[in-house]
Amino acid sequence: MEKDAPVVISVKNLHKSFKLPTERAGGLKNAIFNRLRGVKGYTEHKVLNGISFDIKEGEFVGIVGRNGSGKSTLLKTLARIYFPEKGSVDVNGNLIPFIELGVGFNPELTGRENIYLNGALLGFSNKEMDTMYDEIVDFAELRPFMNQKLKNFSSGMQVRLAFSIAIRAKGDILLLDEVLAVGDAEFQKKCNDYFASIKGKQTVILVTHSMANVREFCTRGILIEEGRVKLDDKPDKVADAYEKLWG
Amino acid sequence: MAIPNFLYKNNRVLLKELTKTDFKLRYQGSVLGYLWALLRPLMMFAILYIVFAKLLRFGGDIPHYPVYLLAGTTLWSFFTECTSQGIQAMVIRGDLIRKICFPKYIVVVSSTLTAVINLLINLVVVIIFALINGVTPSWTWLIVPVLVLELYTLSLGISFLLGAINVKYRDITSIWEVLTQALFYAVPIIYPIAMVSSTSAVAAKAILLNPIAQIVQDIRYCLITDQSVTTWNYIGNPFLKAIPIIIVVVVLVWGSWYFRKKSKKFAEEI
Repeated sequence: MEKDAPVVISVKNLHKSFKLPTERAGGLKNAIFNRLRGVKGYTEHKVLNGISFDIKEGEFVGIVGRNGSGKSTLLKTLARIYFPEKGSVDVNGNLIPFIELGVGFNPELTGRENIYLNGALLGFSNKEMDTMYDEIVDFAELRPFMNQKLKNFSSGMQVRLAFSIAIRAKGDILLLDEVLAVGDAEFQKKCNDYFASIKGKQTVILVTHSMANVREFCTRGILIEEGRVKLDDKPDKVADAYEKLWG
Repeated sequence: MAIPNFLYKNNRVLLKELTKTDFKLRYQGSVLGYLWALLRPLMMFAILYIVFAKLLRFGGDIPHYPVYLLAGTTLWSFFTECTSQGIQAMVIRGDLIRKICFPKYIVVVSSTLTAVINLLINLVVVIIFALINGVTPSWTWLIVPVLVLELYTLSLGISFLLGAINVKYRDITSIWEVLTQALFYAVPIIYPIAMVSSTSAVAAKAILLNPIAQIVQDIRYCLITDQSVTTWNYIGNPFLKAIPIIIVVVVLVWGSWYFRKKSKKFAEEI
């Protein structure tokens, strides 16, 4: 990437831990008993242990690491779903998070209604959605079905719709968790072509376990282990390191 | 996290979309659809009317007692629907909260707005019944919207406060169910205040310090009959008179402050 591209995400010394309840049943009763006994009732589990990095405009960053290394927590903190416990996250621009596809999709609403609801959840007005609507429907190739209820869509059609919203939503930064290509072989090829075409133009942060994706689409890789940045380098080097460690 | 602000356009869009969805889905798959919003409270009223007005003869000398009773049950249904929806809103919408960042209060407000829409429809029915029953329209009808707003403010405050606790301790849902049952008898919905004041004036005064009782009696006074005993005409002490209003304001301020404080952690705790 060009050195002078502006920084769009700046993460500084990020810490995050979760309280895991030690008792099997939660609820009011245990909370009161624990307080009376002077027991904490939970153990602290450190997930992020001081993560720092800057992401510049136009970078396609692949975040890799084993299950439980803190990738998803990091992504959710970038999306401001979780709040940093210590350290800071600065985001410059409109960030579109896709932690999961089709959040808020309702089977009883039509395809069209679901697009507008999903758009509103991402912070777009109806007018803004009007300008994106045709592109979304065309990319999903689902125009004849838009006035049908979502429950009458096949599951493949549902993810295609959700995915099309994700990539056609006009945001500055796209966050994706484990989703690059969905649907049948033909649609998957379309997705891959799309990502190849935006490489270097749109800022994307992708959490993935597929080193093939890292090598093909990313301009940079970040390897996370035990809540720390273990390696932050060219995608090939990060993919090699990942495969050497756990491949 | 965006600062809670109703003027921020995209928050309004989200509020509208969520409310629309809630309302559309509420009676999804039922034959009579939206009609249930009207039929349910009317049927509730029919039961109470037969039991309390016809069998137990609670009405006494209150003019237009059936309409008086209908107004009470309508407002009570609104209060219970609004609070129970509001308290459970965060839990019901947990999937959204875990995966997208948006101002959380919108979820609570949108789920209570469905109850508001139902109330407005039902108030039209109350007014139609009042006219059929021979109540003459008066300028005091114009005060009713203010009182409805007061009731909504109280319901919203309770929803914020208990809804925030409910995220972590789901016991609140069950506790509130029992509490509203108890509260129903502590508010003069089915019985006239005169029944209490004839045995104990202190008890009647205590009942009228409850903001729900104050609102219900005031709306009956403005809409139906000046025979309705209200906080203002029954309690003399001006400081005591202010208590219902103070409760409403405190509950809203405390509720929204607590909700805002806790909302940062909702995504982790839900």
